[in-house]
Amino acid sequence: MRNIDNRKYVIALIFIMIPLIFVVRLFYMQVVDDKWKERAAQISENKVITYPARGIVYDRNGQKLISNEVYYDIRVIPKQMDEDVDSVSLAKLLDISLEEYTKKMNKARDYSYRKSSEVVRQIPPDEFADIGPEMYKYPGFFEVERTLRIYPKPIAAHVLGYMSEVDSSDIKRDAYYKSGDMIGKSGIEKSYEQVLRGEKGVKYYLQDAIGIETDRYEDGAYDTIAQQGKSVTLTIDADLQEYGEELMRNKRGSIVVLEPSSGEVLTMISSPTYDPNLLVGRRLGQNYGELAQDTLLPLLNRSANSTYPPGSTFKTLMALIAMQEGVITEEASFPCTKSLVGCHNHPTARGVSDGVKMSCNPYFYYVTRKIIQQGKNKSHFADAAIGLDIWAEYLHSFGLGEDMKTDFPAMRYGFIPNTDFYDNEFPSKSNPYGKFGWAYSTIYSNSIGQGEVLVSPLEMANIACVMANRGHFYYPHFVKEIEDGDVPSVYTTKRKTKVEPKYFDPVVDGMWRVVHEPGGTARRARVDSLDICGKTGTAENFKMYNGKRHQLIDHSIFIAFAPKDDPKIAVSVYIENSGFGGTWAAPIASLLIEQYLTGEIKDTIKENRILEADLMPIRYQKKK
Amino acid sequence: MRGGNDKIWADVDWVLVGMYFLVVVLGVSNVYSSVYNPEKPGLFNLETEHGKQIMWIGIALFIGVIIMIVDGSLIRKLSFWAYGVLVLLLVLVLFTEPINGAKSWFGIGSFGIQPSEVAKVGVCLALSAHLAENPPPKTPLTPRISISYLMALVTQNWKTVTILAIPSLLVLLQPDAGTFIIFTSFILVLYREGYAGNVLLFLLVAVIIAVITLIVADSSFMLPLLKIKMGGKFGIVLALLFIGLAFYLLIRNFVLKRNRGGLYRALVGSIIVSILFVNFVEWGYGTFLDDHQKERIELLLGKMEDPDGKGYNVNRAKAAIGSGGFAGKGYQKATLANASQKHVPMQSTDFIFCTWSEERGFLGSAFLVIFYCVLLIKIVSVAERQRSRYTRIFAYCVAGIFFYHVMINVGMGIGLAPVIGIPLPLFSYGGSSVLTFSLLLFILIKLDSERKIVLQ
Repeated sequence: MRNIDNRKYVIALIFIMIPLIFVVRLFYMQVVDDKWKERAAQISENKVITYPARGIVYDRNGQKLISNEVYYDIRVIPKQMDEDVDSVSLAKLLDISLEEYTKKMNKARDYSYRKSSEVVRQIPPDEFADIGPEMYKYPGFFEVERTLRIYPKPIAAHVLGYMSEVDSSDIKRDAYYKSGDMIGKSGIEKSYEQVLRGEKGVKYYLQDAIGIETDRYEDGAYDTIAQQGKSVTLTIDADLQEYGEELMRNKRGSIVVLEPSSGEVLTMISSPTYDPNLLVGRRLGQNYGELAQDTLLPLLNRSANSTYPPGSTFKTLMALIAMQEGVITEEASFPCTKSLVGCHNHPTARGVSDGVKMSCNPYFYYVTRKIIQQGKNKSHFADAAIGLDIWAEYLHSFGLGEDMKTDFPAMRYGFIPNTDFYDNEFPSKSNPYGKFGWAYSTIYSNSIGQGEVLVSPLEMANIACVMANRGHFYYPHFVKEIEDGDVPSVYTTKRKTKVEPKYFDPVVDGMWRVVHEPGGTARRARVDSLDICGKTGTAENFKMYNGKRHQLIDHSIFIAFAPKDDPKIAVSVYIENSGFGGTWAAPIASLLIEQYLTGEIKDTIKENRILEADLMPIRYQKKK
Repeated sequence: MRGGNDKIWADVDWVLVGMYFLVVVLGVSNVYSSVYNPEKPGLFNLETEHGKQIMWIGIALFIGVIIMIVDGSLIRKLSFWAYGVLVLLLVLVLFTEPINGAKSWFGIGSFGIQPSEVAKVGVCLALSAHLAENPPPKTPLTPRISISYLMALVTQNWKTVTILAIPSLLVLLQPDAGTFIIFTSFILVLYREGYAGNVLLFLLVAVIIAVITLIVADSSFMLPLLKIKMGGKFGIVLALLFIGLAFYLLIRNFVLKRNRGGLYRALVGSIIVSILFVNFVEWGYGTFLDDHQKERIELLLGKMEDPDGKGYNVNRAKAAIGSGGFAGKGYQKATLANASQKHVPMQSTDFIFCTWSEERGFLGSAFLVIFYCVLLIKIVSVAERQRSRYTRIFAYCVAGIFFYHVMINVGMGIGLAPVIGIPLPLFSYGGSSVLTFSLLLFILIKLDSERKIVLQ
């Protein structure tokens, strides 16, 4: 019997052991392991994001370039719907087909009966004016306000850029973004994304088992309010931009206008362009597709993302470098030896000013040869290598082929060839000229802005600034003011070229004579009393197809600044495949300068000729 | 009336009474928090679960006072009558309309009563009365395969088995698997009273083999050397044979020769029984259990994971308990196990432990588990001080039922037991269960208070 009495200890042991195991397990679950706390938060808390309105973008005179407009999304909670809802008239009201309506409703029911789903998105206010008063007839359906971008003037599409939904790389890069958010994809919208986007607000809710919000978490202690994005004032002059786009209608090419005293971009045009309002909201998808397929490439920003051969405008730089290097004086005279390089008929250029005015090709052939072949080495080839690198260094000091830190996404800068390039990469990487395999005679085309050198329209406008300032410039930039922020000092720092101001006088004199004197190449650019200085360029170009080079009509190029003393404006104009620089680019530049400096155009014949010209078709050079 | 009123209360164990009141007060406060509805704020509102709970406690206390007043011998005399009436109710309930697929409820207006709960009291009384009069044979039968042995086994035990089998089968017919499992708690009582000594060890080994069988049931492995693919079941059989071989070697080397014979027989017998048992578990699992019961077991064994589907209840329960942290979220601050969020289902009944643990944290949950542990030990000590066999057996019945409820209810919340819908004693909302556990404790207190008078 005693034996059996001992069984009470076994039972007591069981009664103690099991609760002990439970206590240990509870300690692990509640105190040690955080897994279940995370799981609980995931189950019971819901974070609702409130979206800020995006920052407004102004032009330099306070005109709105980008603003916000309220749009409406229609959403539905299936549980709250009438059972006998008139789907035909509702679909008609929402302007969607009955099939689409049915599809959306099925999707909404599949997702949740008690949580809302989207039916139609981004209804513009004018359309919603018809829908809003009818909404009461359809319980369960309700509208949600959203803001989208609106462009009060249909200009500067390439500068301002567009917005679209974030992609996976954006989400990975920056924790701010969640799937479905909008982000600036190009232009100012992209480069000032961080300023414009504002701060999202967060509201924490408790949710029940079905996902319905029931209560504020901790009475909203952790909630934040959405903060509107900061506004940005651009250096762009909306009126000049608009006038320039008007001039560029039916022409392919680009215009960049800078303020020489500050480097501010007054106008940047790429033509053909498009109405920025096309790439907003639910219109974006289809319109983008159509624009992307256009063979004239309206989405391409030629001003910032294209490079061209500079043509004869480049000659001004050759003269400056040669004088600074001391290999010529301003009186230097060279014969127009057409056997070396082709030229038009003109009197012999006596001095740098003459050379610029008449744009004599052989003259600058000789000038540049003096820079490249300075006789610093006995070997002709080694000498050319030394000379070329000196030459390239000067050009870099003008901002060419340099990262000028312009506040614009995906800027493409030009290309200045150097020794390394000809030794190892040209004509092809597999079969380059090689070290000491080339001399000036191989690369002389660069002297007249053809050959391997490439510049962007923005860089050419900057060259016009350098000429206007006689030797210095500021990095071109778009930002004039940021709300509660500063313009970076990189844009207010004066950059000096390696050429002293005194050497600029004969070149600037030549540029004045280009416009004003008989025998100058850009007489069409003349405007009385404005003292416009300019230089024409004409760039040969080719198009490859079927493996053959087809020569197209030349690009018409002009760089200019005005007035000659105390310059206020610097311009570069590229008109693709339109011919001689003085014919199209020069008058367009002069019209812009006149409009900007005087606010009106006196020579309406000149203006009408430009407005009416259609240079859009791609034309081929007639066989000689 | 013997002794008068003062005598009735003289030997009442007030510690037990105090523990009863502590647990029901904590229980009501916790039910109040778990079902709190701002539109029905009153504590005594009979439309609310806490209001009803208070009403049931009131009814239970009223019955408790009557129990205290009547003579203990009356309870003993009425044991089989109570058993008979409750079995009758278990039969009658099978003719009611099923609620949630089970015929378990007698409804009276908005109140319902579950006879299977209250039947526990009847079974406890009847088992106590029967075993008190029929103690097990003093010299336990040694296992022998003979007709006379089997006959003795039947004649000596058929009444005990019948008392337990009738209500067990009746609740299975409802069906109510939870209550059926609770009835197996009487094994503890039988063990204490001297039945088959190794039954607990045997059960432990059986549970281990069953669990391993279910874990490896549908896996397979490659037999080393022979490269034959074998089912998981054969792996267990092989393992059992290896264990048998190990024991054989132990016996041969360390046991005196004259004792070896019996041990060899026992060894061979238990290996054969084990192998048969493995097959039985596999067959029984596939044959007797519903799909949802299998799912619950597979979830518990970790063979299946489905936190938002089939494992929803357990996943939410664990999240609620685990998120309580050390000190809890505070009273009425639960965000998962409460009435407005409803992440944890049945948070006022089967999963009441979740609300408590989420709001009170580890401090509260450990306190409650230890409280039940102390209560169980208290009941054991009460049982062991009795000279009356009847009272002792009854006390062990009460302890066993409380233990099973706590073990399964808390265990399923923390993922150590399969989900079986049974209440936490005196803590979960539910009239029938409050009434049942109150009656069990009150009868025990009454019987215990007569320990100095009743000698046999």
